[in-house]
Amino acid sequence: MTEIEHILRLFAEVERRQNPLEEAQKALNGLEEAQRAQDPLKTTQRALGTLEDAQRNNPLEEAQRTLEALEKAQGVQNPLEAARRALKSLEEVNRLVEDAWASIESAQTLAELEQLRIEYLGRSAALTEMKKSIRELPVELRPQIGGAANRASRSIEAILEARGAELTAVEREERLRAEAVDVTLPGTPYPKGSLHPSQRVIDELVDFFVGLGYRVAEGPEVETDYYNFTALSIPPGHPARGMQDTFFLDEGLVLRTHTSPVQVRTMLSQEPPVYIVCPGRVYRRDSDPTHTPMFNQVEGLAVDRGLTMGHLKGTLTAMARHVFGEAVRLRLRPSYFQFTEPSVEMDVSCFVCDGEDPNCKVCKGAGWLEMGGAGMVDPAVFEEVGYDPEEYTGFAFGMGPDRMAMVKYDIPDLRLFFEGDLRFLRQF
Amino acid sequence: MHVPLSWLHEYVDFDLTAEELVELFSLRSQEVDGLERLGVMSGEVVVGEVIEFGPHPNADRLSVAKVDLGGQQVQIVAGALNPYPGARVPVILPGSTLADGRKLKKTKLRGLESYGMMLSERELGISNDHERILLLDGPYEVGHPLKDYFPIGETVLEIDVMPNRPDLWGMIGIARELAAILKTTFRIPEPTYETGGSPTGDYDLRVGAEDLCPRYDLRRVSGIQPGGRAPLFIRRRIYASGMRSINAIVDATNCVMLETGQPIHAFDATRVRDSIVVRRAYPGEEMTLLDGQTRVLDEEMLVIADEERGLVVAGVMGAEEAEVGEQTTDVLIEVATFAGRNILETSQRLGLRTDASGRFERDLDPNMVSYAMDRVTGLIAEISGGRSASDTLSHYPDPARPWQVPLRLERTELLLGMTVEASEAAQRLELLGCEVQREDGKLSTTVPTFRRDLRREADLIEEVGRLIGLENVPERLPGVPLPGGMTREQRKLRRLRYLLAGLGFVETMTYPFGPARWNEGLDVQRTLKLRNPLSAEASNLRTSLLPGLLDTAARNRSFGVRGGAFFEVGRVFEPREQPLELRDAALRYRLLGDTSRGDSDGDAAADLLIGVAEFQKVTGLYAGTVRASVWNAPALTAGFFEVKGLVERLVPSATFEPRPWTFLHPGRSAAVLLRGAEVGWVGELHPETAQMFGLEGWPVCAFEVDFAAVEPDPTPHFALFYNVPAVSMDLAILVDEEVRVGDMLDTVAQLRSSILAEARVFDVYVGSQVPPGRKSVALNFTFQAEETLTDVEVKEEIARISGRLREAFGAEVRGG
Repeated sequence: MTEIEHILRLFAEVERRQNPLEEAQKALNGLEEAQRAQDPLKTTQRALGTLEDAQRNNPLEEAQRTLEALEKAQGVQNPLEAARRALKSLEEVNRLVEDAWASIESAQTLAELEQLRIEYLGRSAALTEMKKSIRELPVELRPQIGGAANRASRSIEAILEARGAELTAVEREERLRAEAVDVTLPGTPYPKGSLHPSQRVIDELVDFFVGLGYRVAEGPEVETDYYNFTALSIPPGHPARGMQDTFFLDEGLVLRTHTSPVQVRTMLSQEPPVYIVCPGRVYRRDSDPTHTPMFNQVEGLAVDRGLTMGHLKGTLTAMARHVFGEAVRLRLRPSYFQFTEPSVEMDVSCFVCDGEDPNCKVCKGAGWLEMGGAGMVDPAVFEEVGYDPEEYTGFAFGMGPDRMAMVKYDIPDLRLFFEGDLRFLRQF
Repeated sequence: MHVPLSWLHEYVDFDLTAEELVELFSLRSQEVDGLERLGVMSGEVVVGEVIEFGPHPNADRLSVAKVDLGGQQVQIVAGALNPYPGARVPVILPGSTLADGRKLKKTKLRGLESYGMMLSERELGISNDHERILLLDGPYEVGHPLKDYFPIGETVLEIDVMPNRPDLWGMIGIARELAAILKTTFRIPEPTYETGGSPTGDYDLRVGAEDLCPRYDLRRVSGIQPGGRAPLFIRRRIYASGMRSINAIVDATNCVMLETGQPIHAFDATRVRDSIVVRRAYPGEEMTLLDGQTRVLDEEMLVIADEERGLVVAGVMGAEEAEVGEQTTDVLIEVATFAGRNILETSQRLGLRTDASGRFERDLDPNMVSYAMDRVTGLIAEISGGRSASDTLSHYPDPARPWQVPLRLERTELLLGMTVEASEAAQRLELLGCEVQREDGKLSTTVPTFRRDLRREADLIEEVGRLIGLENVPERLPGVPLPGGMTREQRKLRRLRYLLAGLGFVETMTYPFGPARWNEGLDVQRTLKLRNPLSAEASNLRTSLLPGLLDTAARNRSFGVRGGAFFEVGRVFEPREQPLELRDAALRYRLLGDTSRGDSDGDAAADLLIGVAEFQKVTGLYAGTVRASVWNAPALTAGFFEVKGLVERLVPSATFEPRPWTFLHPGRSAAVLLRGAEVGWVGELHPETAQMFGLEGWPVCAFEVDFAAVEPDPTPHFALFYNVPAVSMDLAILVDEEVRVGDMLDTVAQLRSSILAEARVFDVYVGSQVPPGRKSVALNFTFQAEETLTDVEVKEEIARISGRLREAFGAEVRGG
């Protein structure tokens, strides 16, 4: 508050002079004169300049001159009175600020703080009143007094804000404490459906083969005798027909017993190379604890130049690792299918015990899990669809995603898959 | 095929445990289903002589024997009554273990010490007889280990012979196969017998159905001792092979069948009238077979008869008439081959599958007949003292001869994906019985007639590959030269399923065939039927997925579930009316894959020829309480609008028309339309239908739409939007209750307001606040334009809307 001190000093000098009243009267007269001179502004500016000079030189004389100038410049009746009031105001500002600081620091609630804000900064607060009365002050004093008042306001605002933030934090803390819930209560339920376990495996297999560049081929479930059997080297009367427990419809129509007819249809409709995977439902007239009259199959077919059993083996190994994990191994055993030659069965090493546990629940101690059949496409099939078996070779394979799901998810009974029991289906 | 290892050891030398043999056979040849153990597994069985035998003093059902084990007399308590002083019996010593797991200990039975046990035939793995102690009849010396005379324990390999390998239905074939795997040799018994019996030529042989009987050989063996039981070594072979011992002659024929794979039939020659005739059965001919059942035969079945009556259904089972029995001393032995397919069909039609028919149906090698005939002649002579006729009647007009199959080495390596040495390939094929001649890069292979499955190069490649071992094939991945991937429709199906699961539905897979109720419930007139359903209850192919889902819901209800949300994506089947003139073409298509119409009109559409239309459907079902209420959310039960909302989500441009379906609530069902075409339905189940499916009392709502119409993830299109505030306005309108809100919304849409961004129904009210017969519909409109809209513009538009609604529906605007 150096300005205040400075002004105080100025006033002290003025006061020490003998006849202040007269002086003031003179100043007043001067002011009136100045007003009459029609150029109060210039006069004021000059007075200000003088004041600045005074500050630089002899304070007493300067003050005197200043006072004179003031008296000349201002049309107030009693500048001294005004000056005194201003002086008093400044002291009051100091006191107010100190007061405000103390009360604000001790305020305990935001409401209380709001009261204090009104008290110190509101419309009828002392500081506000003072700001209003600045207009009554001599022009030269206004910046200082006004500045002091504004700084006081800002100071009070700052402390209000600081305390406000403190109290807000405290009150928010309290509110949050009051808002606490029992977090162990269950959350709002969102719909949770499920995907059929066989479909999950089918999706995985399809994704794998699509990743290799295969396409997905589909075909009808009511199939002709030709596509389901004859085209696959299973002519009428062949014992293999008896093995497949076929459901018959009208003459020459069956529920397909495998998805192999899709392979035939694909080969008949396009030239090699062929890389397809055929998922779908198939039907056999068989119902016991380990057989259901409907089940799923995923078959695959690759026809190209130079395909070997090595490609079949590599493909199936990669597939098994995709489904059962990177550690599993593949084993091929000789087998017999009408539409492949050579034919093989594929086993995958047990992904749970790797053959180490004779009591393993998954492989029953065998160490291997039967995955399905495969083989190199029989030349007779190629001839049937018009491919040249000398130019092209190919491999085909078939798997049971239901059985794969059984071992993957540890499901004990195949029949569960098609009974629609929610207690079962909801687990997937 | 049951393979007793002690028998196999006689034909081929190998030093493998049973487990190793299982593994090796599985990896190189046929799948092995398991191992069966018979008789005594460990310990010792010695020949004992009964010194004393009498009742147990403290037990009515027990006996006590004093048995001499050769320098040692022991007391044995027994349950059987047949031993007598002087009889020789097998005695198992304490510390031994039987195949059934029993371990023998010195023990006390009803107060008397018992040392070891006298064994029955079953306990020794000879037969199923457990009533009596086996009495050893022959040169058995007291105190000698019994295993010096015959094996006291047996391990039997159960081989699952593939249908293309009838040669493995006999022990000789198995021995050859094992020798080929082990690269070793095998040996077979040399048949010996004496001739001089009554001539076969006393009888005639006439084969009248040559097409069904490629070879028929007949030989007479006479002078047989009657009533004989086969010796122990034969009976234990038969038992271990899973058959039953009958009498010496039948056992001898069965034993040779097990050895060669060739079924053999023996007739009591005295009961055969003059001739053996091979002919088709007369229509309606009846025959009472050995199982005691009388069967009616038809003309497609082959019988072996004499001049007067049928004696055998060829290759399947004999009749009682000329069977060998206790009194038989003179037999005619039949060794023949029949057309496999005919035997299979006969056996299927009679519902009778026997050890013989199972072999014949695979087409046996006619050249095996001679060996089998000699072998069985020798065996009968050996065990029953008979003499063979010196003549054999034979019908074999067209002898099977070996054939040649060339094998290219580079082709072998291509198919197998591994390098194969010519010498290795040749050796493997030779071990299988082929003759191989090597010419540059090629193996000229002569295949024996017992390997009818080896006809083509690929067949030989398979043999070479499996015998070298498929584990030697290196793993490769093909470089697929095509862009793969799922089609748009396939990706759509995937998204649809994941969406429905995400919306809380449980994916199900139900059977596509069901009871008549399935169609009656849906008022479906024509369905496809299975000719041979598993039960009459499951013969109708579905025309909708709904019945299967309703049954599923009902089954869950019976389990105590309170409700659920199910969906299925699957096929439905509808018969397709076929023009009469296409019937023949349809049959040709179905049986031969031929799509020509059979006239000059060219090809007919395949789907018309197949006569069945398949459609992919998506069906969802809300039944009962789909989700139970919880502390902060109410229960979700099946309701029309819940399900309709799902259809709107799945078919975003769908419109809905009320339509009465017989199986749905008449006032709460609608057709789902897409661009005017019907693509499905949605609605609440009719109470009658609910009752029919056991769901009475449950709210049940469902939808079914064509998969083709579904759009779970429509292709997005960008629409321009403006960064100026939108204006929202409410409008409450009074209309007659019959007025359909959907029509009102359509009418508003038809105004094509350039500034209307959204119209939303936020309340529909009927009650005391509105006049009777009227309802209040509260609509909210959002307006939006390129420039900020003025009040005047919005009010004008609202006025236009309400004016139009007033005009069209007599609507009265209550406020807005």
